[in-house]
Amino acid sequence: MALPTTSTVAWSNPLQPPAYNPVVARTTLARPPPAHVGHSDTPMRDSPFDASLQPPTAPSEQPKKVEWTPEVRNYVGRAFEPENTIAGISKEDTTNKLRVVLSYFAERSQLEGIDWSTYPLPQELLRDERAAAWAQAQSNSLLSSPNGPANPTLDTPQSKKRKSQDKMDLSESADASVPPWRRTNLESRITYANGRNEKRHKKNAVSGDATSKFDQADLEKRKQRFQLGKNGNSSTPPWNSPKPDSDADMDNAPCVGTNMSLEKSYFRLTAPPKPETVRPQHVLEKTLAMLRKKWKADKNYGYMCNQFKSLRQDLTVQHIKNDFTVKVYESHARIALEQGDMGEYNQCQTQLKALYSQNLAGNPDEFTAYRVLYFVYTCNKTDMNDLLAELTPSDKIKPEIKHALDVRSSLALGNYHKFFRLYTIAPRMGMYLMDMFIGRERLHALANISRAYMTVGLRFLTDELQFGDDGECREFLESHGASQAIDKKLDEHGKPQFRVKVKEAASVFESLRQAAFALVDIKGQK
Amino acid sequence: MSMEAALAGFQQAYNTHDAFELASCLKPIPVDRLYDFWRSTNEARVEHTVKHAITFGLGRIERSEAQGWIDVFVGFWRASDKIINADQAQNQGRLSERHALEVYEAWKDLVQTFQKYIGNGTLPHWIIFTLYFVANDLRRFAIKADAQLAKAKPVTFSAGLSDDVVATTLKNQKLEEAARVFSRIFALCMSDRNPNLSESRKWAVYCIANLQFKTYFKLKTITLCKNLIKSIEAQADMPPWNLYPKAHRVTYMYYCGVIAFLQEDYNKAETALFNSWAYCYKGSTKNRELILTYLIPCRLITKSEIPSVQILQEFPHLQTLFGDLVSSIKRGDLAGFDKAFAEGEPEFVRRRVFLTLERSRDIALRNLLRKVFLAGGYEDLKEGQAEKDRMRRTRIPLAHFATALRMGSGGGQSVDDEEVECLLANMIYKGLMKGYISREHAMVVLNKKGAFPGTGV
Repeated sequence: MALPTTSTVAWSNPLQPPAYNPVVARTTLARPPPAHVGHSDTPMRDSPFDASLQPPTAPSEQPKKVEWTPEVRNYVGRAFEPENTIAGISKEDTTNKLRVVLSYFAERSQLEGIDWSTYPLPQELLRDERAAAWAQAQSNSLLSSPNGPANPTLDTPQSKKRKSQDKMDLSESADASVPPWRRTNLESRITYANGRNEKRHKKNAVSGDATSKFDQADLEKRKQRFQLGKNGNSSTPPWNSPKPDSDADMDNAPCVGTNMSLEKSYFRLTAPPKPETVRPQHVLEKTLAMLRKKWKADKNYGYMCNQFKSLRQDLTVQHIKNDFTVKVYESHARIALEQGDMGEYNQCQTQLKALYSQNLAGNPDEFTAYRVLYFVYTCNKTDMNDLLAELTPSDKIKPEIKHALDVRSSLALGNYHKFFRLYTIAPRMGMYLMDMFIGRERLHALANISRAYMTVGLRFLTDELQFGDDGECREFLESHGASQAIDKKLDEHGKPQFRVKVKEAASVFESLRQAAFALVDIKGQK
Repeated sequence: MSMEAALAGFQQAYNTHDAFELASCLKPIPVDRLYDFWRSTNEARVEHTVKHAITFGLGRIERSEAQGWIDVFVGFWRASDKIINADQAQNQGRLSERHALEVYEAWKDLVQTFQKYIGNGTLPHWIIFTLYFVANDLRRFAIKADAQLAKAKPVTFSAGLSDDVVATTLKNQKLEEAARVFSRIFALCMSDRNPNLSESRKWAVYCIANLQFKTYFKLKTITLCKNLIKSIEAQADMPPWNLYPKAHRVTYMYYCGVIAFLQEDYNKAETALFNSWAYCYKGSTKNRELILTYLIPCRLITKSEIPSVQILQEFPHLQTLFGDLVSSIKRGDLAGFDKAFAEGEPEFVRRRVFLTLERSRDIALRNLLRKVFLAGGYEDLKEGQAEKDRMRRTRIPLAHFATALRMGSGGGQSVDDEEVECLLANMIYKGLMKGYISREHAMVVLNKKGAFPGTGV
C-alpha cells in the first residue's frame, strides 16, 4: 500500500497544496474504507492531501470547539519566543504557518496524538521548506539547461516579486502535470477544483505568502519529475538535512561577489545574498564611473537612485568599508541633493558620518557643512545641538562649515538680510540644501517685514529676499495671496513703479509662515 | 569572617525596615566590606553558605521569602566575585572589556532577581527603594561596559540584511538594555493595585522615573521621557504629590522642566524649574546650580529677566558661565555679548542651552536701541503743556540706530543699512519694540506710549 507510514511526513504534507501529485492519487484510490481509518492512530489516517484541499484558514462547515491542551499552548508560545526566531522569516509568516499546522490537526482531532515538545516549530518548517525549494530551484535549473550554468536570478527577490508571472507558471505546470488517468477520475477533478480554490485563498492571504507559494510551486514541479513511478515519501525529513542551518552563519560572514555585470537593480534582501548576484569591488568601481557618466548625460534620477542603492547593498554584504565606500556614498548624497531627495540624502549622510569617523578619505568638511544645513532645514534643535557639540574650533573656521554655521546663526537671530546674502555665496552644493528652506524663510522674512513697514518698494523685497528679478518677486507674492497688496504707479518718466503695501498682507504672511514651519516636523522624511 | 557576620548589617536593616541601610549592604564598591563578604564563601559553597546564614539570621520568616533573600545574596556574591575580579585586574593593569561586561551582566542578574521577587510579592514592598539603589548601580555598570565595548570596536558592521554599511544602533548597547530593565521596574511600581496606599510600590514611581530620565538623557533619547511623564500624568490613583519625599519631587520637577525647556515650551519649563528650585535643599549647591543653569535662560526668554548679582555670586560656576553674558545684556553691549557667548559655547552646548541663550541677544539689542531712544531726548514743550507731560522724541532717524549698532558691534563686522533695518524689523516683529520703519523718510516712528514694552519707556 502506498499509504505513508512515517508520521514525520504527516506534518509536512498539509502544507503542500495542490493535489496533482500522482503518488497521492494512488493513495486516494486505494484508500481503505472509513471504518478502518477510524482505528488508525497515526496522524496519517486520512490522506494528507485532503488537508490541503480544505483552505486552512477558512472555517470548516461545522466549526468544532477546540480545546487547546497545555502542550499545544506551550508549542505556540515557543513559536513566538524571540530566541526561536529565524532570520528572514517574518512573524506574519510564522503566524500563518502555525495556523495551518494547528487547524490541520484540530480538524482531525489529532492534537493529542502529536508530541508537541519535539514537533518542529512553524518557522523551522518554513525554513526547511524554503531551503528545499532553493535546492530544487538549483537542481531544476541544472536539469532544464544541463549545458548552461545555473540561472543565478532564479531565487533572487527579483523573481519573487514577479507575482503574476509565477501564477502563470504554476497553473501551466499544474495543467501539464495532471496525468491522463486522473483526468477521467471524478474524484480527482474535484480535488483539482479544490486545489485551485485553495490557490485563490492563498493569493488572498497576506502578501508575504507570495514567497512560500513560489517555493511550493517549485517543490511540486520537482516532485513531478522525480516521483513518477516511485514511492514518493522521502524518509529523511528536510530539517534533518545538514543544509538549512547555513542561514544563520551567513548573516554575519561577508560574502564575496562573483557577478561581473555593471548594472543591477536594487531589491531589498530577504535572505542572505548569493555570491553570483553580488559584484566585487573592482566591478563596482567601474559601475561608479559609469553611473557618474550617465548622470551627467541624462540625469535620470529614478534609475540612478536604484543603481546606487544596489551598489551600496553590494558594498554592505561584502563588508567593504574603505575610501571607495566613502566615494560611493558621497556621490549618491550629492546626486540626491541635486534632486532634493532628502530621505535618501539623509541615509547617505548618516553613513558618511560614521565612515569619516574611521579616518577614511573623502570630504568631511563639505558634508559636515551639509549636515548643519540639513538640521537647519529640519529645525531639529536636538540634533543641531549634538552636532555643535561635536565641532572642534578648527572645524568651525573651515570655509564650508563656517558658512553653514553663519546660516544657522543668522536664522536663529532672525537676520534675514544676512541669511539671503549667505544664500548667494553658498559654497559647493550648499545652495541645493538651502533651496529646501529658502521659500519658508522668504515667508518668514515677509511676515517680519509686514509688521515693521507700512509699504515698501517691490525692488526692496526683490533685493532683500534675493529674487532673480522684480517679476519673480511679484510672482512669489501673487502666488502667496498678496496680489491685492501690490500697487502699480507710473513715475515721472512714465515707467511703472511697484509698491507693496505689506501691512495689509501681514496676517496672510504670518499664517503662511506658520504653516510652512509646521510642515517640517518629520525629520525631512516626506 | 563568616557569612553570618558579613550579613549582620543586612539583618539589622531588615529588622528595622530600612531600605537605605539595606541598599548600603549591597554597595558594589570594592572596599574591605565587600572583600570580607566575598571571602566568606566560594563559588562551590555559596548557595549553601548563604542559605544557612539567611535561614538562621532572619529567624521566622516565610519560606518563599527566605528563598528570595537567598537568591538575592547569592546573586550579590556572584556579582561581588566579578567586581573583585575586575578590581584586582585593574590593580595589576590588565583590565579588559571582558571584566566590565561580566560585572554588568552579574549585576543585571541581581537586579532581575529583585524584580522577580518584588513582582510576585515575596519580598516586602519597601524593598522597592533598595531596588532603586541597586538599579542605579546597574546604570553605572552599563555605562562602563559600553565605554569598554566602544573602545574595543569603535564601529560595528551592520549584520544581516540591512542595506548600508555601518550599523547605527549598537553604540550604547548595554545602557539601552539597562533602560529596558528600568522600564520594567517602573511598570512594577505603576501597576501596583494594592488599595492600601501605605504599602504601595507607587511610592517609588518618581524615583524610578528619575533614574529613567537620567538614562534617557545619557542615551540621547529624550523623547522617551515624554512618554514616561505622560504615563504618570495619566495614572489616576497616585498617592498625593505632596507626600512624596522632597528629593524625588525636586529631581522629577527638574527633569520635567529641562524636558519642557528642550521642547521649547519655556513657560511650562519655567514653572517646573521654579518649583524644583523652591523645594530644593539649600545645602545641595550642585543641584541648585543645575536648576539655575536652565532657569536663567528660561527667564531670559519668558520674562526678559536677568539673574540678580547676588544669586550669581552665590554660584561661582554660574558666575563664570553667565556673568559676562548677563552684564553685556544689561549694558546693551553686543560685542561683549558675542564674545561671552562664544567663550561659553562648549559648556552651553553641553548643557543644551546654547540655542536658547542665543535668543537673548535680542534683549541686548533691545537695550541698545532703547539707549538710542533715550538719547534722543524730548520734544519741545507745546503751549500749555506742563513739564511732566513732556514727550520723548519718537521719530528717530535710521542713521542713529545704524551708528549705535556699528559702535555696539565693536567695529569688527560691518553692518550695512539694510541689515540695520532688518534687525529693527525683527525687534518690532518680536514685540520688543513698538512702531514702524518708514523707508521714504529713513526714519523709525516709535509708539508714543511704550516704545519698549516692559522697560518703563
